[in-house]
Amino acid sequence: MMKSKQKSIWVFGDYRNYYQNRVTLQLISKAMDIAKTINAEVCALVFGHEIDEWIMEYTAHGADRILAIDDPALQSYSTEKYLAIIENLAKERKPEIILIGATDFGREFAPRLAKRLKTGLSADCVGLDITEDGLLLQIAPSFGGNMLAEIVTEFHRPQMATVRPGTFKEIPHNYTRKALVERLPLMKKLPKSRVRLVEYERSVEKEHTIENASVIVCGGRGMGNKEKFKKLLDLARLLGGDVGATRPVVYAGWADHGVLVGQAGKHIKPKILFSFGISGAIQHTAGLGEADFIVAINKNPQAPMMKMADVAIVADASDVLNTLIKELKKRIRE
Amino acid sequence: MQFNPCMKHKLIRNSVRHFAETELAPIAAEIDRNATFPLDVIEKMKKLNYFGLQVPKEFGGAAMDSISAAIVMEEISRVCAAIGLCVTVHNGVAVYPFLQFATPEQKKHYLPKLANGEMIGAFSLTEANAGSDSASVETTAVKKNQEYILNGTKIFVTNGGICELALIFALTVSDPTRLQSSVFIVESKYAGFLRGELENLCGMRANPVSSLFLEDCRVPGKNLLGKLGDGMKIGMTTLDNGRIGVAAQALGIAQGAFEAAVKYAKERQQFKKPIASLQTIQNYIADMATELAAARLLLYRVCSLKDEGAPFGCEAAMAKLYCSQVAATTTSLAVQIHGGYGYSKEYDVERYFRDAKVTEIYEGTSEIQRLVIARSVLSNLAL
Amino acid sequence: MLNLVVCLKQVPMVTELPWDAKTGTLRRDLATGMMNPACKHALEATLQIKEKFSAKITAITMGPPVAEEILREALALGADRAILICDKLLAGSDTYATSLVLTAAIKKECPKFDLILCGAYTADSETAQVGPQLAEELDLPAAAYVERLEIKNRTLRVRRLVDNFRETLEMEFPALVTVSMENYRPRYTELMGLENAFDENDVIVLNAAALGINASLFKKQGSRTKVRKVFLRKAQKENVILQGTASAVVNEFLNQYQRKISAAIGKSIEGKKLNDEE
Repeated sequence: MMKSKQKSIWVFGDYRNYYQNRVTLQLISKAMDIAKTINAEVCALVFGHEIDEWIMEYTAHGADRILAIDDPALQSYSTEKYLAIIENLAKERKPEIILIGATDFGREFAPRLAKRLKTGLSADCVGLDITEDGLLLQIAPSFGGNMLAEIVTEFHRPQMATVRPGTFKEIPHNYTRKALVERLPLMKKLPKSRVRLVEYERSVEKEHTIENASVIVCGGRGMGNKEKFKKLLDLARLLGGDVGATRPVVYAGWADHGVLVGQAGKHIKPKILFSFGISGAIQHTAGLGEADFIVAINKNPQAPMMKMADVAIVADASDVLNTLIKELKKRIRE
Repeated sequence: MQFNPCMKHKLIRNSVRHFAETELAPIAAEIDRNATFPLDVIEKMKKLNYFGLQVPKEFGGAAMDSISAAIVMEEISRVCAAIGLCVTVHNGVAVYPFLQFATPEQKKHYLPKLANGEMIGAFSLTEANAGSDSASVETTAVKKNQEYILNGTKIFVTNGGICELALIFALTVSDPTRLQSSVFIVESKYAGFLRGELENLCGMRANPVSSLFLEDCRVPGKNLLGKLGDGMKIGMTTLDNGRIGVAAQALGIAQGAFEAAVKYAKERQQFKKPIASLQTIQNYIADMATELAAARLLLYRVCSLKDEGAPFGCEAAMAKLYCSQVAATTTSLAVQIHGGYGYSKEYDVERYFRDAKVTEIYEGTSEIQRLVIARSVLSNLAL
Repeated sequence: MLNLVVCLKQVPMVTELPWDAKTGTLRRDLATGMMNPACKHALEATLQIKEKFSAKITAITMGPPVAEEILREALALGADRAILICDKLLAGSDTYATSLVLTAAIKKECPKFDLILCGAYTADSETAQVGPQLAEELDLPAAAYVERLEIKNRTLRVRRLVDNFRETLEMEFPALVTVSMENYRPRYTELMGLENAFDENDVIVLNAAALGINASLFKKQGSRTKVRKVFLRKAQKENVILQGTASAVVNEFLNQYQRKISAAIGKSIEGKKLNDEE
């Protein structure tokens, strides 16, 4: 049971794309950890229409309380409506911490909310902790992940952070868990949306996947020519990943700007990065700080990319690519 | 005396470097190998005012000061010397004579087209028998009615393969007792203007260097540049200016080779450490860095003199002499530092080595530059 | 005549990140600066609007004196005027404070704006927060990560891809957008533009006092977050080197790392152990 003065950690329920996007569950799990340390309850916010499924999911994955508003007016996500709702609730209930997943929506919504609530916010955190003085320690990356900062919001409440999906692990679904579900009415004076959603559709083409890909096959000019570069796609497909490119490759017309990896390109965080025929100019390697495991293939063993790699294969990039594709085809079992 | 680059110079350098790295770097090796001139990139450069560096605004030019112009030439040459050559020659010795000697009508007619690159220019003085001895040109120009009829062959014309306009030096009086040469503005569309085969050169291979054949080439009378007999004057004045451009090119080539050598020295490991930690290599790097710094100051000084309106012929010769020497030694050292890889076309330094050499030769050989400097020094002493 | 404001930031070039080894912090004062890539895209979008409609562009940045460079660049590309907000008091601001300061400058210098454009995020702090917070301060309808903008009278229509949804949104001026790097590839700067950016146009420099911001006010209303520590993320790499024929290295690689690869791709690559000949 909730004690009347108990602290509350709010987790925003970002349920769109629920089956690909597990960040809310991950945050609930981390919130549970934090809750133990600071003696708080974990409260999930669910705003929308026909939201029972999400209420049940968040309950089963660890929330102590759900603040739910179910109304046709909230059919689609709306930054403006959510701002008004949360501002209202926050004034009333004074949460200690609000955590929001760093999805595209979260990263647009959270800063406005933080301003609205006149409090501080860290972006895209890759770690959270509690300091000795009981503050939420927000660990945020910068410079393409090459640098980490430990940030706190000392004097203002709630303490807010957006958290990168995949940072924390959700706790397994447990249908016996129970939560206190408060079904709240939609507030009367809901502002009219000044931003109108004219149309939307689920993107069929797998765009933006390079930023979420767990395997990336990146190629540089060392691939030789456009035909040989294109073969990287075969390897990427085999591994269920995406192709990335360096700037010289993009400007040579071998690949589209959309797959540029580096300081001015996409931010990637793959589990495995293959780097074919890339020498490792710093504008490129600056974007690789968050690759877990790097395999570099280059016939020049002294190339900077080779020094950065977990495994450096000294051989012709194109030859290795073709051989790797052939071998993987033999070995992969569904 | 301002030694540090001002903000404008810094931004110009960044801007041109960005363009060169993005558009020229990916193709530099290939166009050198195949000796092809990249028309599409040149088109982009035209739109960015690279062909009207010091042309006044009223004619559509960028009206830059001489240091800014030198920076542009240096930054292009740092990535692709052959294209740097195209821009330098066009601005330095094809456009410049118009600024100095053209009539208001000629300026009005030609400068806008030169500035936006609609006409790329060439400067044709050299002939088979007239290199350093430029007074020995044999091309003739004979007045007939309202036209001049030109006959002769010009060789080693930079931009010759594609230029729409060439400044041709021809004898207008060939009496050995009173030789007189003059300069003519010749458009490639005139009857009797023919281009020769592209030269097969050691370096600067992507530049369309060729001979120009004038066979009864008919040039309108109003296309005489300056007055009859101004050939020597225009030639010498123009070459003084051209030397600044060559110095800038050479500086750019040296800078590019230097950066490549330093990068390589940091990466290449022998005896379990980077070769940059070896004293010999450090000595090379120290020498290269110092010479580059000195060369740059010499170049910028002559740019300042020119902009002040002061005489700059001697200083221009010094800058050309020294910068081209620095380019030659720096590129040679850069290849040496790269070891065997430096000799391979897999790396860019061998191209820089080949490109550098000609900066000691064209627009006045180093020997001629020394002649110019010595004369300038000695003319002040009573002998 | 559309009144456009584009917010820019100068960020250090990653090529030259000079780390202070002792404190583990970035020596920003030593790093060469460049216009933040996403801001370049926002500026390009702004220039394209100006090409289509009659418009006036104000470029604005908050930074140290050297940030003037990116304003000159903006002027060279076609901005009509530029504002540099520069004051030691404002150093180390978080996005909360930055948006407060930018708001004060915009209210002072271009209060009748129609559209504010920002880059989606910066290459250094990468928060993507200033745009939305600026919108909140100015109470504007806004959309982030915009890929395409269309203007008809006073209606702005934008297209974007967010969380795998392709959205088309509409809003009325005044509004704010943050521009992603998917589209609006930045143009090259004309040399003529660069020459003119120094002769003809001036950069207005404002300090905190000019914006009505003093130290105690800023302490109260400024930054809400505080950076306690900053460190380089050092990845300790084992750096295993494999050499040999393509076939030899590939087989060695797959054998040694099959578990890791299988885990990453969600499929087994154990292969057929008994009979490798196919």
